[in-house]
Amino acid sequence: MTGVEARPIVLVVEDEPLLRLFAMDMIEEAGFEVLDARNTAEALTMMETCAGIRVVFTDVDMPGGADGIALATSIRRQWPKIAIVITSGKPWPIGIRLPEDAVFFSKPYRQDRVIATIRDMAG
Amino acid sequence: MSTEQDASRARALASLRVLDTPEEQAFEDIVFIASQTCDAPIALISLLDTDRQWFKARHGLDVGETPIDQSVCRIDIDDAHLLEVTDLSQDGRTHANPLVTGERTFRYYAGAPLTLRSGEVVGRLCVIDTTARPAGLSDTQKTLLLALARQASDHLELRRIARASERMAELQTALVEIGEHIRNSPDASQMTHAAAKIVGRVLNVERAGFGFVDDDVRSIDIESDWTAPGTASIAGRHRFEDYGAIRDHLARGEPLVIEDVLTDERTAADPAAMQAVGVEALVNMPVRQHDRTVAALIVNSAHRRIWMPEELTFLRSVADRLEAGVARFRGEQQQEMLNGEISHRLKNMLSMVQAIASQTLRDVPDRRPVETFEQRLMALSAAHDVLLQKSWINADLRTVADAVIDTVGFGDRVHMAGPPVALGARAALSFSLVLHELMTNACKYGALCRENGRVDVGWSIEGTGDDADLVMHWRESGGPLVVPPTRRGFGSKLVRMGLVGAGGVDLRYEPTGFQADLQASIRHLAQA
Repeated sequence: MTGVEARPIVLVVEDEPLLRLFAMDMIEEAGFEVLDARNTAEALTMMETCAGIRVVFTDVDMPGGADGIALATSIRRQWPKIAIVITSGKPWPIGIRLPEDAVFFSKPYRQDRVIATIRDMAG
Repeated sequence: MSTEQDASRARALASLRVLDTPEEQAFEDIVFIASQTCDAPIALISLLDTDRQWFKARHGLDVGETPIDQSVCRIDIDDAHLLEVTDLSQDGRTHANPLVTGERTFRYYAGAPLTLRSGEVVGRLCVIDTTARPAGLSDTQKTLLLALARQASDHLELRRIARASERMAELQTALVEIGEHIRNSPDASQMTHAAAKIVGRVLNVERAGFGFVDDDVRSIDIESDWTAPGTASIAGRHRFEDYGAIRDHLARGEPLVIEDVLTDERTAADPAAMQAVGVEALVNMPVRQHDRTVAALIVNSAHRRIWMPEELTFLRSVADRLEAGVARFRGEQQQEMLNGEISHRLKNMLSMVQAIASQTLRDVPDRRPVETFEQRLMALSAAHDVLLQKSWINADLRTVADAVIDTVGFGDRVHMAGPPVALGARAALSFSLVLHELMTNACKYGALCRENGRVDVGWSIEGTGDDADLVMHWRESGGPLVVPPTRRGFGSKLVRMGLVGAGGVDLRYEPTGFQADLQASIRHLAQA
């Protein structure tokens, strides 16, 4: 085992450009490789084409149909090993269960806690 | 005799609500007086229904009704005059009547019309003898019989009015009950269901429901309807044209009132659709808004029935109230959605402020001010979350405290005790910042920077009414030896602003642990 181990990949899904940039920057700083998607559809395409994604960091409220909760649910179904971090400006909706191995952060979130969670998930 | 007049008579009679009711003394008295006045063994108050004559009162006869074709009373009924037949066995209209040819051997008949104020003749007050009376009644007897018939008619109508006012009182009570449900129901569907149930019960029908109609008044969405046991629900969307020509009335804003789907011109052509859902009679009461029909209250009966004017008035009131109630719920829902949307944007904005600050300050070597900034932003955001859950009306002090402490951490070492206290929006935000400063100071210099340190936060309400004050004690223990700070930073200024930004703060740097006492008027705290 001499090869350099690839850095774990985190996929950031956020429609708001500034917040996307901020999240990518924060996660990159923490030593991860970062991919980004602007909506659920883009995110799912990336999931299918890129094998190394370990954590998906997604917003809930995004335009264009399916939201972050739906995305989290389909990821959990298709890629059970990928961890999920969900973030939203709204409180977590009452009566909906958080998918297994998913963590919710209300916006604005504490960067150190988000990073600690992602580190933990990426193993 | 036209069937149209018979039908109209039957309607007038039905609206008197007297058929098949028990004996009443007033009518018994009238037939007794008639029999005595005319010296006849039999006297009857005979009411002419479509297929029978029914006797509201009888003297000297042992049957309560006969088939309509045996009725002598119905002869020339629409002339509204006294009918006298001196020998029934000799008269062409009656000689074959079973009451004449049979064992009853009726021979003489005199009947005065029962005429309502509307002009409708609903039957006769008659006297009968079993022997022919060629001389007939005297003029005085005829006058008395006609007078008694007027008494009987009047009494039938008064009786109806008395029943109607009792009925109105009953409907009024039901309306009050419905009003209570409209005010107290937690949501629109429970409200309409509760109202429909009361309507169904008080009108004794099989189904009642409420629904909004589409813009063209082509279809209705019936919300959870109430049904009597054994009757199926028709909740869901229905097109009016599937049930007959019933749309135009509603579109014009007139109530659709059908007494019998088999004979009503709007449904008679094809009553199958109505019958399929168990409807023989119905009322659709429209609700209007800006000259447009927006909703309807529907009432279905499994039997043909005459809808009384007071019942229709009642249904109109119920429909109007339900519409206002549902509109209120929709308004609240919209307000809630709007609040949620604004709050969501506000929090995205806070996130962006955080992002910009973080990017702008990324090269600042001293990370502490940057972190403090981020954490203060979090504390504000936490108070905002709590306020949002109550639509920004107020927030509970303990809930805000929990949320703020969660953003800092060490919650397990902060012990809180105190009664519920309502904080208005402004107090919730300033309290969140004060508490955040106390927490971060405790983490940096006070009890929470040692493993065994703890903070006790207790509060109570002192005084009553407008003079009541919230008094809060912050007590640290188990931390390092306390040294009073040499300078006052912004954080300390924040704390000194107090719970409502008006002071009332006492800070003590006791060697064993930092202490803060905060006091503020309950009234100020609750203000928005």
